[in-house]
Amino acid sequence: MTAAAAAPGAELRPAVKSEARGDSRRRDRNWVLALVALLAAEIVYFSGTVPGFFGGGTGLLALTEQFLDVGAIALGLAVVILTGEIDLSAGTMSSFAGIVMAVLWRDGLEIWVAVVVALLLSAAVGALNGLIITVFKVDSLLVTLAMQFILGSVATALGGASPPYGFPKSFVSIAGTGTIGPVPNQLIVFAFLALVISLLVGRTRVGRSLTLVGFNRPAARYSGIRVNRTIVGAFVVSGLMAGIGGILVSGLYNAARDDIGNSLLLPGITIAVLGGVDIFGGKGRISGVIVATFVLGFLTEGLLVAGDSSLSATMVTGILLLVCLAFKIGLDHRRGVDVRALVSRRFRRLQSIGDPS
Amino acid sequence: MSATLSVEKAEPGGAILRDVLRKAIRLRELQLVVAIAVVVAVSALAHPSFVSPGNISFMLADSVVTAVLATGQTIVVLAKGIDLSVAPILGIAAVVVGFPAQNHNLPIVAALGLVVLVGLVLGVGNGLFVSVTRIPPIIATLATLSVYGGLQFIIANGQEVVNIPNAYDALGNNDVVSGIPWVLVIGVGIAVVVALFLRHTNVGRAIYAVGNDAGAAHRSGIPVQRVIFATYVLSGVLAGIAGLLYLCHTGSADSTTGTDSNVNLTSIAATLIGGTTLTGGRGGVVGSVIGAVFLSVALTAMVFARIPAIWEPAGVGLLILLAMVTDRHSSNLAARARRHRQGST
Repeated sequence: MTAAAAAPGAELRPAVKSEARGDSRRRDRNWVLALVALLAAEIVYFSGTVPGFFGGGTGLLALTEQFLDVGAIALGLAVVILTGEIDLSAGTMSSFAGIVMAVLWRDGLEIWVAVVVALLLSAAVGALNGLIITVFKVDSLLVTLAMQFILGSVATALGGASPPYGFPKSFVSIAGTGTIGPVPNQLIVFAFLALVISLLVGRTRVGRSLTLVGFNRPAARYSGIRVNRTIVGAFVVSGLMAGIGGILVSGLYNAARDDIGNSLLLPGITIAVLGGVDIFGGKGRISGVIVATFVLGFLTEGLLVAGDSSLSATMVTGILLLVCLAFKIGLDHRRGVDVRALVSRRFRRLQSIGDPS
Repeated sequence: MSATLSVEKAEPGGAILRDVLRKAIRLRELQLVVAIAVVVAVSALAHPSFVSPGNISFMLADSVVTAVLATGQTIVVLAKGIDLSVAPILGIAAVVVGFPAQNHNLPIVAALGLVVLVGLVLGVGNGLFVSVTRIPPIIATLATLSVYGGLQFIIANGQEVVNIPNAYDALGNNDVVSGIPWVLVIGVGIAVVVALFLRHTNVGRAIYAVGNDAGAAHRSGIPVQRVIFATYVLSGVLAGIAGLLYLCHTGSADSTTGTDSNVNLTSIAATLIGGTTLTGGRGGVVGSVIGAVFLSVALTAMVFARIPAIWEPAGVGLLILLAMVTDRHSSNLAARARRHRQGST
């Protein structure tokens, strides 16, 4: 603000521009801070009111196992949503990966080889999603909706009447319920994934391409970014992360579940959007997504531990999403430095003039 | 000049015909009717009972719930929105009416009023979130999907509707005249009313205008946000009515009715297969209804071909993909959709 005021008139424009950009960055950071505060409040509230929630810290850590699979899926979804697309197949993709792994293992493959094959297949299906979207120029909503149906069927068919269960101990320990001291192994896996994705998005060329493709596709094209390749890449990441989510689900239940995947999609999208990733692409931070994973996860688990049904927990999830977004959108509009907010405000004003009433 | 003109006019007499034909081939409704005919013909050759009056009337009746939902979905999609919450609206309507019907023999007219009211209230909820707080439709209705789903769970309270009065059952499963079920007549009636509404009323045309170009619609004096609001209310009301039809047709309702049978996605599938595009402003109710019939016919054909039921969703998925890839307009539309979405929110 002071910089802009001090600058001479000729430089006013660029100064304002950079200030606007700084402002939007600050807003992103403030959003993440708000989420952290929400998370802290939540943990304090549940620790105080729900016996067995905090459990001397270890209970709290142990609870994370229940939702980190969704967190992995949300990280992949965030990457796709950053490019302005959406992946509705992420849920059944995780069922698919879990079932493929389990069936290969049952048929005699070493478990970790089976995991790798399943993840490669998930990435390949993700690539297929991306290719159909970019080659035929079809809306990603449709393609991934179709893929959701198809993967769901394939998973159910592969799994048969009773999908394999009872995996080797080493697998269940690392991907499922094992711990190092009080820290669940899943939390370590998730921390690793979160680190990789946030470095990828925040610190690399690829990440900047992803964001620019979502922010302004023509501009991305003119500045030499291979837009289609970037989009396909985003879907590969999403497929891979959904696959990892599926492996974590299998580890947690010590059984391949073809019935659970699609119920992970909605919380996954909720986490990405709650984390501050703009559903139209181009804006968002992975750190927000990571915090949002815990905000939503602890909220759901807190309600479940307190004895609420899972459906009323999802209901609260929905309300949380609506309230946070209404708040965030209201905030964005009021600060109104960015063009979109400005346009929509003017839009509304014109409309109220145009209205007969 | 006039001579050359008349020559030009005289010559392409055949060309005009060709042009009309080409347009007709591109018409999604016609493509679908041909596709239905092909599926029916092939299945009938393999299994003659496929074209028995009983099976035909079964397939048509089976598509009615999807068709009514798709009608509402189409209205929303035409204005470039999407409604992912039709499943729990259907479910809530079914349980709200189902319990009084089962326990207190609620008259069917009251039931109709009740489901319309339920749909209205829940649709208003969606509309408020989308057009007042400006939450993007896909997110807003995703959230209300969870909220309404929880609400349905609370209303049902672990109970199940298993026994509906005869009047309901008759509406859901009896024929008006032999071979034409009541639900079919109701479904066709709703589709005709909505189709006329969209084509011939100011509000209907405003919906197309908003979907085509919200900015232009706004400049020509259309209250854009109110129109968008109205589409969600209409979709809610139609989903409520679909809930009543579902209850009458299947005779059951519980806390997961609608959500468990994936009617959200089948309603969207029918809409898209019917040629309405997510980019808004293009398509119509007739296509969606034919799309719903096509889905029902294709899925029944899968049953006749002894393909296990678990492949049904995959069939729907493939049909969506096929519909997209064969849509000649789709190429530039995805890009346009993005531009519009970025511009209008």
